[in-house]
Amino acid sequence: MSSTPLSRRKFMGIATGAIGGFITVAIAFPAIAYILAPALKRDEAEEWIRLGSASKVELGTPTLFKATIERQTGWIVTETELTFYVLTDNGRDYVAMSNTCTHLGCRVRWIEDQQQFFCPCHNAAFDKEGEVLSGPPPRPLDRYTVKVEDDQLYVLGG
Amino acid sequence: MTTRVGDWFDERLGWRGVWEAIFLRKIPKVNWLFTLGSATLFVATTQIVTGILLTIYYVPTPDHAYDSVQFITTQVPAGWFIRGLHHYGASAMVVLAALHMLRVIFMGAYKFPREMTWFTGVVLLVITVGFGFTGYLLPWDQKAFWATTVGTQIAGAAPGVGDWVLRIMRGGEELSAITLARFFGVHVWVLPAALILLLAIHMYLVIRIGISAPPKKEE
Repeated sequence: MSSTPLSRRKFMGIATGAIGGFITVAIAFPAIAYILAPALKRDEAEEWIRLGSASKVELGTPTLFKATIERQTGWIVTETELTFYVLTDNGRDYVAMSNTCTHLGCRVRWIEDQQQFFCPCHNAAFDKEGEVLSGPPPRPLDRYTVKVEDDQLYVLGG
Repeated sequence: MTTRVGDWFDERLGWRGVWEAIFLRKIPKVNWLFTLGSATLFVATTQIVTGILLTIYYVPTPDHAYDSVQFITTQVPAGWFIRGLHHYGASAMVVLAALHMLRVIFMGAYKFPREMTWFTGVVLLVITVGFGFTGYLLPWDQKAFWATTVGTQIAGAAPGVGDWVLRIMRGGEELSAITLARFFGVHVWVLPAALILLLAIHMYLVIRIGISAPPKKEE
């Protein structure tokens, strides 16, 4: 096949390089996966969070619900309390809103007398649908997808 | 092309001379037992690489050590592989270093002019055992905890200074977060620094003096 015979030295050099290269790749590829994969992994998909009985929601009044969810980062599990305002006008269609002001993340509070949500940080006001009435917030209160099963309210979040 | 690039660097770095001194040096006719040192060096290299990778996830506190090791083994992609290499590599390192030492003893390779190579080699074996001892505690499971309890007690049995040594090793009376933290510090900082320094001297001497030929019957 070839005119110049492969010398012993040449053969050993090639064999050493090939085996060394194989070992390097066998360690380097798992190492790259080991370092990168957790960073590339997206957070878990959203799930249905149970808030409680839908009958607790008063007609026409935003009602506060609290739910505790578990979040896992690495091997550490932390419990986070999430808060939602749920509104219904007919007892069939529900709207779930975040109680976090869309301006800088302060907590808004429903003021029954004035029929509006009030943010104490910069005096922002939202109507009961979550639309901005006054103040600096750039957008209405965030909404969540809601479902009702066996009188239990669920919101999609995470 | 490659020769021209090689020439460019050689004119500036003189790397060909270094390459020849390390890889093209003359050696006597030897057998496979003479590869034990190189084998130990190879395992030491993989231990350094896998060890560095493990520190990316491992946390040396009683609260997190066990859980972080479980996380590496079960959750991180190839984590089981990296940890496995480090785990079995540790045993391989001690076995290969010991066999390498036996070869040097049986072939009388420690004699003039290689005494310093031998002395550094003895210290390197002690460092290797130190790596094994300190690394054994780090997973913080039952086996690790009790093995270190017993291991430090053995050190504590030394006459006179025993109690003092035991307290220094544990960082107190009992095994605690302090013990774990100092074993980790010794395992990833003190011993690697000592290993690299002595390995450099050891390798320099092997290249500088050359290796001895197997002794002949009549000698």
